[in-house]
Amino acid sequence: MDIAEYIRLVFSDYTLRTITLGTAILGAVTGMLGSFAVLRKQSLLGDAISHAALPGIAIAFLITGAKDSNILLLGALVSGLIGTFWIRGIISKTHLKSDTALGLILSLFFGFGMLLLTFIQKQPNANQAGLDKYLFGQAATLVESDVWMMTIVTGACLLVLLLFWKEFKILLFDADYTKTLGFNTKFIDILITTFIVLATVLGLQTVGVVLMSAMLLAPAAAARQWTNSLGMMVFLAAIFGALSGVFGTAISATQNNLSTGPVIVIIAGIFVLFSFIFSPSRGLLFKQIRFIKNRRDLQLHKTLTFMFRIAETHENISHPHTVKILNNFQGFTKRTLQKLVRKNYVKLDGNMWSLTEEGFKTATNLYNQQNSNDE
Amino acid sequence: MSSAQFEIQLIASLVAIACAIPGTFLVLRKMAMISDAISHSILPGIVIGFFITQDLNSPLLILLAALTGILTVVLVEYIQKTGLVKEDTAIGLVFPILFSIGVILIAKNANDVHLDVDAVLLGELAFAPFDRLIISGVDVGPKSLWVIGIILIVTIGLLIAFFKELKVSTFDAGLAASLGFSPAVIHYGLMSVSSITTVGAFDAVGAILVVALMIAPAATAYLLTNNLKRMLLYAIGFGVFCAISGYWLAHGLDASIAGSITTMLGIVFLFVYLFAHNKGVIAVLYREKQQRTEVSLLTFLLHLKNHSEESERHVNHLNEHINWQKVRSKTILDLALKNNMIQFDKNIVSLTEKGEDFTTQAIDYIITNEDGKIEHMKDDFFLFRG
Repeated sequence: MDIAEYIRLVFSDYTLRTITLGTAILGAVTGMLGSFAVLRKQSLLGDAISHAALPGIAIAFLITGAKDSNILLLGALVSGLIGTFWIRGIISKTHLKSDTALGLILSLFFGFGMLLLTFIQKQPNANQAGLDKYLFGQAATLVESDVWMMTIVTGACLLVLLLFWKEFKILLFDADYTKTLGFNTKFIDILITTFIVLATVLGLQTVGVVLMSAMLLAPAAAARQWTNSLGMMVFLAAIFGALSGVFGTAISATQNNLSTGPVIVIIAGIFVLFSFIFSPSRGLLFKQIRFIKNRRDLQLHKTLTFMFRIAETHENISHPHTVKILNNFQGFTKRTLQKLVRKNYVKLDGNMWSLTEEGFKTATNLYNQQNSNDE
Repeated sequence: MSSAQFEIQLIASLVAIACAIPGTFLVLRKMAMISDAISHSILPGIVIGFFITQDLNSPLLILLAALTGILTVVLVEYIQKTGLVKEDTAIGLVFPILFSIGVILIAKNANDVHLDVDAVLLGELAFAPFDRLIISGVDVGPKSLWVIGIILIVTIGLLIAFFKELKVSTFDAGLAASLGFSPAVIHYGLMSVSSITTVGAFDAVGAILVVALMIAPAATAYLLTNNLKRMLLYAIGFGVFCAISGYWLAHGLDASIAGSITTMLGIVFLFVYLFAHNKGVIAVLYREKQQRTEVSLLTFLLHLKNHSEESERHVNHLNEHINWQKVRSKTILDLALKNNMIQFDKNIVSLTEKGEDFTTQAIDYIITNEDGKIEHMKDDFFLFRG
């Protein structure tokens, strides 16, 4: 299937349209809530939640015997919440650190979930196949009702975010201050955590237990590089998440044998890589360029100052000196000398250099500026 | 018990020991999540190794996969060093992406790879005894038994050789560096051992169980002791106990062995988490309640000491003044009476000599605020605790 055909199919084909819409909405909602997880330094919580949700899915199936995805998601939500609050309990009541608590709950719940899943597989129940799609996710199993479910949850998230925006924001950046202002921090905290759990659980069917954490983190980590404003970050993360969903679905649909989840994660990873390198204010590329430029400027100033010191000792500032005497000075390179000439600070005449009027003035100011800055 | 059953339990126990040793140090160094990251990101290494060797137990594959594990650690540290994101975000970004690459590699070559993502993540211990190692026609036992056995021997050797270095660098990295032990060498050494153990064990028990076997026994042991050697021994003990009991649980339920072992680990952890003598939740909650009562008692005694006028010390007044509920005031009055700190005289409460003494010292403590002194004082004065 080539790209043109794909684009035509997105608008005509029911399955493809559903999946594309579903992954886009999922990406948007996880990106939005992921921003909060990243900023609250709870990045790995998503990983723990998604693993902790597995026994919930299995138990929900054991109780109802039905494969209705909404009931299974409810089970996942409950067990995800139990896992999350147990993690908090471990951190606050014992001396075990947060990483241990996360890893512990993650692996123990997942192992218990596996026990239940294998137990279910041995049951004489024709209905059981397909539970393991939650392990690695199968976007292809999305149906319209799932997309509606996602839309409703996204709408609820958006509503709550807008309603409690200032509370979330202030809790994020200064929890103690929030408390002194009289906000119920516990309630706000539980509210945001519950929504993070909800978003994580929502994605299990599409991208699976293992890769869900990346859906939560990657768009937010990418968005963080472009802005310092929370509102902008949440917005950008939602866009990045949605785009990862759309592109990931497109690529996996046009290729054979590619499951959607991993492709979406890799696309999100490319967004992160791109942001890490090319973001104007924080990106590695521009940081390196700024670093080199600053170093050059410093070298230039050092050379100029050195020349100024020599010229100072003569009555005529334009008195020529040999280039040689600059040689035992580290800041000097051929290029800085050329640059100084181009800026009209220095005149070169064969092997001799002399400071111009302008160069002398700049050098004096350079020195004075340093002084005035110190004051 | 058939010989296959015995071999399964032996392999599981060896894996438990091999995981508990690096796991203890990971938990103490607050790097538990790194083991989770490694366990996922070895997938591309395993796939590429499998393309080359076509054998899941080949040493080359183990080496390649372990290298991917170390690559994960290096990548996480690099991203963290750029300062663009925090450490946990870096971990959370690196391993899903590497894992995705592994899944896609498998999917793209599905026709010539007899390798399943499920198998890597979940393992199947029940099949381990059937893959035998045959040296010049003689059957010397299951392959995974040899693999994990060699890894375990190397791990124990390294542990004994570098115990002192590991200990000092875990608890005081600065001191270790100033004594001349390179923190980087110890760090990457530990990471390498964790990677190799994870890779060596995944075939038998799956990557997720490796994480559980690394973290859960160590965390459980940490709730029981503060002594490193004892913690290592406890962790090994819990690991082996859960491995064997988990096997029989799986036998009874006819379910996944890895899942049952993890469930046993969970049950043991839950038990210790609730009932540990000193650090369990019940003990902590009890201690918190005791401390709350004792702080109230101290407030009450200070109030008595501060007021010589009788109206302030009348029983009826106390309730409204300190604003305690009835039950609470009764508990505290009883405690004060039992400890001979107060006496009643026609509904007027006053401090006894002992109460005076205690309160004076307590004020001294609050003013100078030297840590630890007050607990000691409580032992001296209290006949009954709150």
